[in-house]
Amino acid sequence: MFIPGLFAVLLAWVVFSGSVMAGETKELMLAVYSVPKEAYERTIIPAFQRSWKQRTGQDVRIRSSYGASGAQARAIIGGFDADVAALSLEGDLDQIAKAGLISHDWRTGPHKGMISASVVALGVRKGNPKGIKVWEDLAKPGVEVLYPNPKTSGGAMWDVVAIYGAGLKLAEQQAGAGKRPSAESAEAVAAGLLKRIQKNVKVMDKSGRESVTTFERGVGDVIVTYENELLPRIKSHRPYEIIVPDETVWIENPVALIDRHVDRHHVRDIAEAFVSFLHSEEAQAAFAELGFRPMGQAAAQAPAHTSLPLPSQLFTIADLGGWEKISTTLFGPRGAWTTIVEDLARGK
Amino acid sequence: MTRRLFIGSVWFYFALLLIGPILYLAVQSFDEGIAAFWREVTKPEALHGFMLTLEITAIVLVMNLVFGTITALVLVRQHFTGRTILSGVIDLPFSVSPVIAGFMLILLFGPETILGTFFGTLGVKVLFAMPAMVLATLFATFPFVVRELTPLLQTIGTDTEEAARTLGANEWQVFLKVTLPMLRWGFVYGATLTVARAIGEFGAVLVVSGNILMLTQTATLHIYQSYVDFNYVGANAVALTLLAVSFAILTVLELAKAKTAATLT
Amino acid sequence: MATYTLLQLALRSAAIGYVSLLILFPLAAIAHQSFIGGIDHFIEDISTPQASSALVLTLEAAFLTTVINALFGTLSAIVLVRYEFPGRWFLNALVDLPFAIPTLVTGLMIAAIYGPTTILGMWLQEGNITLLYAKPGIVLAMLFVTMPFTIRSLQPVLMELEREQEEAAFSLGASPWTTFWKVTVPSVLPGLLTGVFLTFVRALGEFGSIVIVAGNIPMKTQVASVYVYGEIESYNPQGATSVSVFILLISFLVLVLLERLTRPPGERMPRWFRWSKRPLPMIHPSEIG
Repeated sequence: MFIPGLFAVLLAWVVFSGSVMAGETKELMLAVYSVPKEAYERTIIPAFQRSWKQRTGQDVRIRSSYGASGAQARAIIGGFDADVAALSLEGDLDQIAKAGLISHDWRTGPHKGMISASVVALGVRKGNPKGIKVWEDLAKPGVEVLYPNPKTSGGAMWDVVAIYGAGLKLAEQQAGAGKRPSAESAEAVAAGLLKRIQKNVKVMDKSGRESVTTFERGVGDVIVTYENELLPRIKSHRPYEIIVPDETVWIENPVALIDRHVDRHHVRDIAEAFVSFLHSEEAQAAFAELGFRPMGQAAAQAPAHTSLPLPSQLFTIADLGGWEKISTTLFGPRGAWTTIVEDLARGK
Repeated sequence: MTRRLFIGSVWFYFALLLIGPILYLAVQSFDEGIAAFWREVTKPEALHGFMLTLEITAIVLVMNLVFGTITALVLVRQHFTGRTILSGVIDLPFSVSPVIAGFMLILLFGPETILGTFFGTLGVKVLFAMPAMVLATLFATFPFVVRELTPLLQTIGTDTEEAARTLGANEWQVFLKVTLPMLRWGFVYGATLTVARAIGEFGAVLVVSGNILMLTQTATLHIYQSYVDFNYVGANAVALTLLAVSFAILTVLELAKAKTAATLT
Repeated sequence: MATYTLLQLALRSAAIGYVSLLILFPLAAIAHQSFIGGIDHFIEDISTPQASSALVLTLEAAFLTTVINALFGTLSAIVLVRYEFPGRWFLNALVDLPFAIPTLVTGLMIAAIYGPTTILGMWLQEGNITLLYAKPGIVLAMLFVTMPFTIRSLQPVLMELEREQEEAAFSLGASPWTTFWKVTVPSVLPGLLTGVFLTFVRALGEFGSIVIVAGNIPMKTQVASVYVYGEIESYNPQGATSVSVFILLISFLVLVLLERLTRPPGERMPRWFRWSKRPLPMIHPSEIG
């Protein structure tokens, strides 16, 4: 009758709309974290399509999704059939691998699978009214600090790591030349700094991007975020200044193709080509445009084609024991950051 | 006079809570001029978003009208065990946060699940495609039509329908020619609220759609994307457009009501 | 016990089936996730310092929202029904708007208008009034999204409230006060309760607007829905679903209580309340053709 017929039509419409399908055009699905969207959409994706067409005569359509790194990882684990994942944290790619979707060792690529790099930096209002110069300034009373919630934002994890690591570096400096502080005392200094800065945090957005938009709405005196988030905003004439502390962490962002999906979609060749394209000069230039640092700068592997000086006390995530260790010691249920937040709430 | 005080307080309440923020939104969306507003509202991503929202809303509207009516009829006219639970469950979608609404769809249709693999073998994508987006919106809009129809059905009773039956009409005729017309306004209200709510659905769809550019970005997801791209004018412009559409629908409804009431008196 | 035709049974199965598939089944999946480790784990999950603070904050804020919206909603409903004034159609059309506004936009609007960049925001700062990124901001967001409920639940009732009943009571010698308590309130109470309870339930689940204006500092300004989001994002789905199930249980109990309270004495059926604003035009049998 009429009603069942209507249902059949509806069902068909729902099921088949949006399901693209085959034909001559191959399709590649990208899941990227939110920050480098412009680089991908404006430069990298069109350039890759041109180069692929030149090389193989084939047209490839590229679908892309941009969102928080962790959310993208979870979506992929939950069934989002991205062919390539370019995320902010290696930990997120590891989660995807743990779910069985990535079966190759993505760390064997050039630069250990990393395609973009930056550092954690501070953004202040034009004229730097609160006189922020070093990390300790963020702990001063009356200074409002912004960074997102590490539970939901990969960027925030980098930020907290930067503060904690800076604290460790400061402990070293306090101990004096030639002397090394004990692990406990260094950790105490680091935790103390983190606590005093966290105390000045009144707003924790759920992603790095949202944190910057909150800052742009006039909230907060100083924002802790990726340097490559601040540089383009300043380039767009926003009234901010950027301060890169001497002690900060070297950020590297990985990429990997998702084996299960590329094999299901028969696009392995395209995906591999895309991943290596991300290492190419063209792609790297696009990242540099957006304020990323050259890949080898920290390890002084490549000549520094950049006007961005290397921070003198730069450290890497490896110096702190790696992401596995940090996820528990800093962000775990009994981690340093978690305890700090709870203590602050209790007024301790 | 209390009358002045009351009316004034209500205007104040509405202004503070509703009118003020919306006006501010309107002003912000024209921050860079009318040309910029127009450009943002007509660019491909925005248009795709509008189209997608329209599609989802249309499907959801039809589903809700059909199943909402059936549910209302069954709730009011039939007595059976479990009726209390059924009626208590209907309003639950209001209290489910969109994060959970999206998450539960992933729990149900994810790759390792029965339903997920079932649809997978059929070649049908549920999650990160239209079906999941429609399901999420269906979940959020379910209460509206039911809640509009149940009191009506209660007030109307079955007398007129019985009368029609004794006059020789069959079930289908009774339904089409007696029941449906009497429920007309319930449908109109339910449809209006469903459409308004479907247009505004955001959180759950964000989780289950994959947020794929030019493929699964509804109008509200496009607003979010614009916002995190620092394109505030774009975000505000599209938001204002959505609001204007909803407000237009609501106003038309008000005017239609007023006209009908006028012709009846 | 009435006998039902095949058609009626088919409709009943369709209704139950649809509601089960759409609402019960998915919610059961959430419940399953939260009880995977047993009841002890569930209790543990909702009693962690962060979870319990979030729950308490959410319940407090929702309660406050309900009280405020009950007051202003009742006032608005009375004004919109009983008084004629210019612009009444405008306010009437506005009432439903919060349903249509994406919660993201609500949050952004509130954050913008009360934030440091506007005159209003700066004025608040001068007066040392913190609205945003504090508890008042949470209540504000909740007020916005729950605004329609009380108004829309009360309006039809107020309209149907027979003026004749009130006038009859008057003519029989009852004082305005007696009329109010013995005639008006009992008729209006079910509608009021519906609006109030729905407001509470809706406020419990709000996320999109609160996450933007609240500040989200754990154990200070983090509501349950934001806590849940954080747990999902940090690979603790069990903790997330436990807290959600707890909120759902509270909501379900509230809704069941509402049904009991609005059941007219002597009737087995609850009195359903319409969301419409005026008596609906009825069709006379003679018009059916």
